[in-house]
Amino acid sequence: MQTIPSTKDSLMALMRADFTTQWRNRRSAIMAILVPVIILISWKGIAEKTGAAFVLSNAISFGLTAIGLMGYAITIARDRDKGVFQRLRVSPIPTWTIMMSRISVQLAMILILTLVVYVVGYNVDKISISPIGYLLGFFAAFIGGAVYLGLGQMIVGLIKNAETVNSTTRLIFFFFIMIGVFGELAPFADMGSFGKVLSYISKYSPYGTVRRILSVAMEPSKWSPETTISLLATIGYAIIFSTLGIKWFRWNSK
Amino acid sequence: MLWVEILNRISSNAYSKHMNNQLNGSILSVEGLNVFYGNFQAVKNVSFSVKGGEIFGLLGPNGAGKTSTLSAVEGLLKPASGKITVAGHEVSKDPLLARANMGVQLQSTNFQPELHVEEIIRLYAGVHGLKLEKERIRQILAEIKLEDAAAKKFGQLSGGQQQRVSLVIALLHEPQMVLLDEPTTGLDPQSRRQLWERMEALREKGHGILLTTHSMEEAEAVCDRIAIIDHGRVIEVDTPNALIDKHRNDEAVIKASRKGKITLEDVFIGLTGTEIRE
Repeated sequence: MQTIPSTKDSLMALMRADFTTQWRNRRSAIMAILVPVIILISWKGIAEKTGAAFVLSNAISFGLTAIGLMGYAITIARDRDKGVFQRLRVSPIPTWTIMMSRISVQLAMILILTLVVYVVGYNVDKISISPIGYLLGFFAAFIGGAVYLGLGQMIVGLIKNAETVNSTTRLIFFFFIMIGVFGELAPFADMGSFGKVLSYISKYSPYGTVRRILSVAMEPSKWSPETTISLLATIGYAIIFSTLGIKWFRWNSK
Repeated sequence: MLWVEILNRISSNAYSKHMNNQLNGSILSVEGLNVFYGNFQAVKNVSFSVKGGEIFGLLGPNGAGKTSTLSAVEGLLKPASGKITVAGHEVSKDPLLARANMGVQLQSTNFQPELHVEEIIRLYAGVHGLKLEKERIRQILAEIKLEDAAAKKFGQLSGGQQQRVSLVIALLHEPQMVLLDEPTTGLDPQSRRQLWERMEALREKGHGILLTTHSMEEAEAVCDRIAIIDHGRVIEVDTPNALIDKHRNDEAVIKASRKGKITLEDVFIGLTGTEIRE
């Protein structure tokens, strides 16, 4: 007569396998980190004008988008398509441990991303923030990461086909980059009332709110009522995306 | 301590008796199972049981309800009604305990493609609460003549080798009930025979095996009892020979016979019809 293994043992076994998988897929993980690094290098010139927090927060936001949408969503869709989850689900483990293990890999990726952005920013762009700014930046990165992981979960909940998930996440990633580049830098004010609407959408889009909380976390003295709204919106996005993602998610793609 | 051992034996014997009474000799029991997909009823009031030391075959054309029945047993889908018990644990009430007592080989091989065989074995040992050292994993692989496969990715193995690894993973925790979903599909005759021998060895050890297959030759060769399922209903349950004897004079079976001698396949065609199912 077999008994149920301890959740800790099961989770450790899953995490070991998932971290090994991530290590073997390190090329795609490096790509997710490379985008923010390229942004840091290419924005070297504007760092002095916009400030360190602006550049670092944008770079981390791009990285979080890549991790949540491309790292998380695409691997979940692929493994679901291959039946990896179905095989695990016939084991005596609670199903939440399967996802918890996957998410822990992405949280480690967020930690590495934030660290790399700080290091490259310091060494290449010669920008730095206060120690408390660095620390709060990590916290903000995890909160922001939850938005994109939730969004990734929602996409794999809505779309069953792995190829469609792949193309959709890339499209959304591109869309967020556009929001990031044009929403933050382009002068929408020149476009009249339409510009104002675009600016507002950009500011309160998932990208805009995450970037703002990251930026203010790095410069806590700049906290304002607008930041509070951004933080609430970020938490709201994370909760809504994750709830819908979990509700719609099916373990089997067929 | 002697008294601890005596107490353990008494309690273990009492427990075994209790379990035997509870299970009535069967390791898997399915009673009045009904499965729906929306308005479509895939499984209709299916009941059967599998005893320890028995290979029980579930046969049926495509879409007959075999995989739905198996999925309900595995806990992968929630039946509308019915009671499924594995080793005394009801799947709907104690899903984890029920799964801890079953070993499953799904229809398609489904492991993370990046992992090496050794890592896959360690993962599935871990999710069953077992800690296997590298040496033990090598030993397990040597037992299935795959000692060189430890550092290979699962996708690099041949179909037969993949099946051997899948089966060994399903049996890592020595489950009482083994569920095999079309395990010999796509295998060459040598690999198929080898798998049959493994199934028979499991039967000798007292494991109960539930096997779904499209191969009548396989069902006839290894199954002790067979359930023929069609349009979601079990239409016959018996030993292969008894089924042949019972239906050898049926008009449809005689019509299905190709070489004069009535085979299990003739009985199957006679009972389920000749039209192709999608």
